[in-house]
Amino acid sequence: MTERTNPYISRRRVLAGAAAVAGVGALSALPALGQANKKIVLSTWGGDYAKLLTKHISVPVLGPRGWEVVNDEAQVTQRKAKTVAEKRLPKGTSDIQALTATDIAELTEVDVLEKLDHAKLKNAKNLMKIFSIADSPYFSPHIFSGKVVLYNPKLIPNAPKGIDALWDSKNQGKVGIVDIQHVYTTMAAALVAGGKTGDFDKAKKALLDLKKLKPRIYPSNEALAQALQTEEVGLCIMWKARAVQWQNAGANILTVAPKEGIITYVSGFGVPKNAPNREGSYAFLDAAMEASAQEGFAVDMGYNPVVANAKVAPDLKKRIGFGPEEEKLFVNPDLAFLAKHMGELKDFWDKEFKA
Amino acid sequence: MLATAESLGSLAAREQRGGRLSTAAILVGPATIFVTIGLLLPILLLFRYSLNAFVPGKLMVEALTAENYVLFVTDPYYLAAFTRTLRVAVIVTALCVVLAFPLAYKLARTQSRFKNLLVMLVVLPLFVGNAVRAAGWMTLLGNRGFLNVTLQWIGLTTEPIRFMYTELAVIVGILAVNLPYVVLTLQSVIEGIDRAVEDAAFSLGAGPFTMVRRVLLPLALPGFAAGAIFCFILTMNAYATPVLLGGPQFMMMGPLVYVQFAAKSNWPFGAAVSFILMTATLILTAAANLMVQRRYRT
Repeated sequence: MTERTNPYISRRRVLAGAAAVAGVGALSALPALGQANKKIVLSTWGGDYAKLLTKHISVPVLGPRGWEVVNDEAQVTQRKAKTVAEKRLPKGTSDIQALTATDIAELTEVDVLEKLDHAKLKNAKNLMKIFSIADSPYFSPHIFSGKVVLYNPKLIPNAPKGIDALWDSKNQGKVGIVDIQHVYTTMAAALVAGGKTGDFDKAKKALLDLKKLKPRIYPSNEALAQALQTEEVGLCIMWKARAVQWQNAGANILTVAPKEGIITYVSGFGVPKNAPNREGSYAFLDAAMEASAQEGFAVDMGYNPVVANAKVAPDLKKRIGFGPEEEKLFVNPDLAFLAKHMGELKDFWDKEFKA
Repeated sequence: MLATAESLGSLAAREQRGGRLSTAAILVGPATIFVTIGLLLPILLLFRYSLNAFVPGKLMVEALTAENYVLFVTDPYYLAAFTRTLRVAVIVTALCVVLAFPLAYKLARTQSRFKNLLVMLVVLPLFVGNAVRAAGWMTLLGNRGFLNVTLQWIGLTTEPIRFMYTELAVIVGILAVNLPYVVLTLQSVIEGIDRAVEDAAFSLGAGPFTMVRRVLLPLALPGFAAGAIFCFILTMNAYATPVLLGGPQFMMMGPLVYVQFAAKSNWPFGAAVSFILMTATLILTAAANLMVQRRYRT
């Protein structure tokens, strides 16, 4: 018989010790089981938008109500892919997805978003019904702007009247396009060709005509902003909110409401079907529609409120908003078309327009 | 009695063999399990995905079809991305080897007490991530970047030259990433070559160029192969540098995989592109290795 080298450590003692540790751990978890889950996982773009969500919604509105918001920041393409990948899981990893109207259309098509009960949102009664997307049961709008023509008067002395200025050979070499805005650029091309936002065939032809003028294609809005600042280009289409931000940063640019129509850009939120904290999702959606939060985004980011009770100073409203005549020019994206043809659109953009 | 001793001896030998086997299993086991779970299983899963079909709205649909591979080899856009990737990889690898050799030789042969510091200087760029490094290149190569401003200031140009979003920018960017790896690989191999063989060559009347060509290069060939293969694989799979310095119109295979998965949600085609990239890299690497081994033997 062999002697134990250490009489104090035996298999039984180790097992008993492990069981005791596990038991203590389980007991300490019990109070947590009794508490409601007060954590909201917000999946959003990073940068200024995420900071402002924290500044105007998570901290001042949800904080006092006992909610803790954790940001999961990434580009929307990655977040959409992740949401789709998590579709089969009983519980996903996010309670809220920050999305644009076109993203919502795409995700609705693959059936990963929860049909929202707007009756649970006390602020929903203030929502302005100027966009078709506001009627979507899968979308809770947050802020909006519109696609305007943006130009540098030094490089483009004659103020353009519409999006078709990008197709004018006189402006060749001065036009900038943003790659990640291919969906809205394609819709704008359809309008220039005399069609509606979903007239893809007309858009394709117009884009191939534009390609002949060799516009400069930039990977992001920020890269275009830099090119405008350095006067590498002087004409593009962009959200009015962005134009205001760049004007504030000192860029010599002006905007024009295009005669072909102002394509609306609505950013907001969707809730994944398998969101782990549904109560938290609704709490966030409602908080995002609070007048104070909406006013904060207008001041700090230049986007317009989507609720009627938000008050924006007249001088700011003049810069970021749209007058009654301009509102008549609002064109909503053909979301049903986009949801089904997003891949086709991207293929054309990559293989024919950019190539 | 003798038989009993023999059987005891064979038993002890078997136990010893068994002991060695279990020790080997303990040593090899964790890494094998890690590689199996972390690499082989995902590769198998990826291959299975690549045979599925993509239906917009339904995304990945279970199937057994080669249409994703057929699409890749029949579509000029994807083939162009592949040939572009291959071209950049070959150019970067060739430049890396040529530029790394003199530096690696100097580092290997220096007797300076600052040798460790010099090695650290070579490694220093690796302390910064690829994306951050690319951002540095962006400020250098932009229209109002350091290079263009300098060229205009000294009067060589009047208008900014477009460096950003070109193949040249991508090649320069990846070269800067890969060069330290090749330098360090070559340096360690050259250090292993006895300096006496170089002296012998000189004493037999060889000039520096002849010594390098006839003595040093053949002996350092495995190091060149290792460094080149390393550089080639890194370039074939480059992502951040082509995206940031190549811009939206410059598509290489790494970003193409990302676009298929993230922007188009086309996982089957993304998996097929990944598999094609991996297979092509493996085949080309193995072929290059084989060629070098044959050359080394002769």
